[in-house]
Amino acid sequence: MFRISNATGGYGKTIIIRDVSLYVGSGDVVALLGRNGVGKSTLMRYATGLIPAIAGTVEIDGLAAPAAPARRARHGLGYVPQGRFVFPRMTALENIAVAAESNGHNGKEAVEEALTYFPMLKPKVHDLAGGLSGGQQQVLALARALAIRPTVLLLDEPTEGVQPSIVDEIAGVLKRINIERGIAMLVAEQDLDFCLSIANRAYVMEKGAIRMETDRATLERDKALQQELLGV
Amino acid sequence: MDIDYLATVILSSLSSASILLIATIGLAVVFGLMGVINLAHGEFLMIGAYSALTATQMGVPFVLAIPIAVAVTMAIGALVEVLIIKRLYGRIFDTMLATWGISIVFYQLAVMIFGTVTPGIGMPQSNIQIGDYSLAGYPLLMIGVAALMGLFVYFLMTRTVYGMKARASIQQPEMAQAIGIESTRVNTLTFSIGCGLAGFAGAVLLPIVPATPSMGFSFVIKAFLTVVVAGPVTLTGSVLTAIGLGGGASITASFLTSVAGDIFFFLITAALLWLYPLGISAKWRRKL
Repeated sequence: MFRISNATGGYGKTIIIRDVSLYVGSGDVVALLGRNGVGKSTLMRYATGLIPAIAGTVEIDGLAAPAAPARRARHGLGYVPQGRFVFPRMTALENIAVAAESNGHNGKEAVEEALTYFPMLKPKVHDLAGGLSGGQQQVLALARALAIRPTVLLLDEPTEGVQPSIVDEIAGVLKRINIERGIAMLVAEQDLDFCLSIANRAYVMEKGAIRMETDRATLERDKALQQELLGV
Repeated sequence: MDIDYLATVILSSLSSASILLIATIGLAVVFGLMGVINLAHGEFLMIGAYSALTATQMGVPFVLAIPIAVAVTMAIGALVEVLIIKRLYGRIFDTMLATWGISIVFYQLAVMIFGTVTPGIGMPQSNIQIGDYSLAGYPLLMIGVAALMGLFVYFLMTRTVYGMKARASIQQPEMAQAIGIESTRVNTLTFSIGCGLAGFAGAVLLPIVPATPSMGFSFVIKAFLTVVVAGPVTLTGSVLTAIGLGGGASITASFLTSVAGDIFFFLITAALLWLYPLGISAKWRRKL
């Protein structure tokens, strides 16, 4: 399980998220919805420790998360950032292997396992990650995050700039991973269909705070809220 | 012109290119790979040379003095990284200013401790005879040393877990942390290895280039230009650039004058940078 309590954080003196609390049960898939600029990515970065906490705490598996991002990763926190941020001058294979090895797992095995989930990477393993297409990089960033064997996976806009066929593939793999490996997920997204296809619950963010918590059934019925989130 | 003379010229040019490469590889790691403009790089070379010199004067065999020089420069490099460089990543001008200051401090310390003139250590005497010409063996040995050094760095950076962590930490520092790499510690080690390579260069070249406080300066300009011309695929690029520029300059020097050799070096460098502003390897799809 994964819990953020009373998170307040931002960049320098600028506070972007204020007193945010949320909870992801073990094996749960939770969506984090909201328009551009409401603080979803900042909350994700707060959760990874990449921005320092002004206030609040993060818990992974019932234990207080250490401050350093690297140690949070080793406590089982996986992160797929918005914009992918693959290691561009390393091969796809190395991107996955280095994540596994940094957490004491065998790199070769991690790559083999990743390729069973993402066969589309197979012809690309020896290519430099920087030369891959946006969709391929997204899949690679996901494979890299999974290579650390996380118990909780944070996904920040995994469908942004990705072609629809790959979006479906990503949704399918996330569902499979969630069922087979029991990895809990928090998915920040603007693509409502994508979220409805994988998440059971959702938080809606507004102006750096959680405005409401809802479940899939309610969200599917609430056309007004959908309209608002889609921004049309 | 007879074939023996040509062979002599080619061998000695290759050896000059190798000496340039040996002095450059550390910078290829620190500047090419990490992007830190370390203006004190030449002084690390000098520290390596003095460490080896002092060790041999204390009776340590030259072969064992080299690893001592590497250890000393790695330790000083790690200290400089932790105290100064670490706070300046991504701030190019601040880094230049700080490392320039470090270079002055090291230079003056060397003047104070060793004076401006120091005895060389004699070159191991072994000559190679080609026809009527005789070449000193030690500079020729540098061809092999340069090759081994290049291979060592290549394998260290591409085939080891540390190498993957090092490149990940440099390319995307935040994501490296987010997947569990202690990137600040890894960067300290990488910088320290770069300095250690400079120290190795200073030590191994000691029989050819005697230790003086200002010796770093003569190396650092050509080394920087080599890495800049090499571009983003820093190691392979530096090897080719060192052979092309260093070897070409040496051939020119042996047929004309040493000034003509330097002119060749700087003219070709300018031309290459005009043709490839981002370095010759800007479009290569290689790791290192």
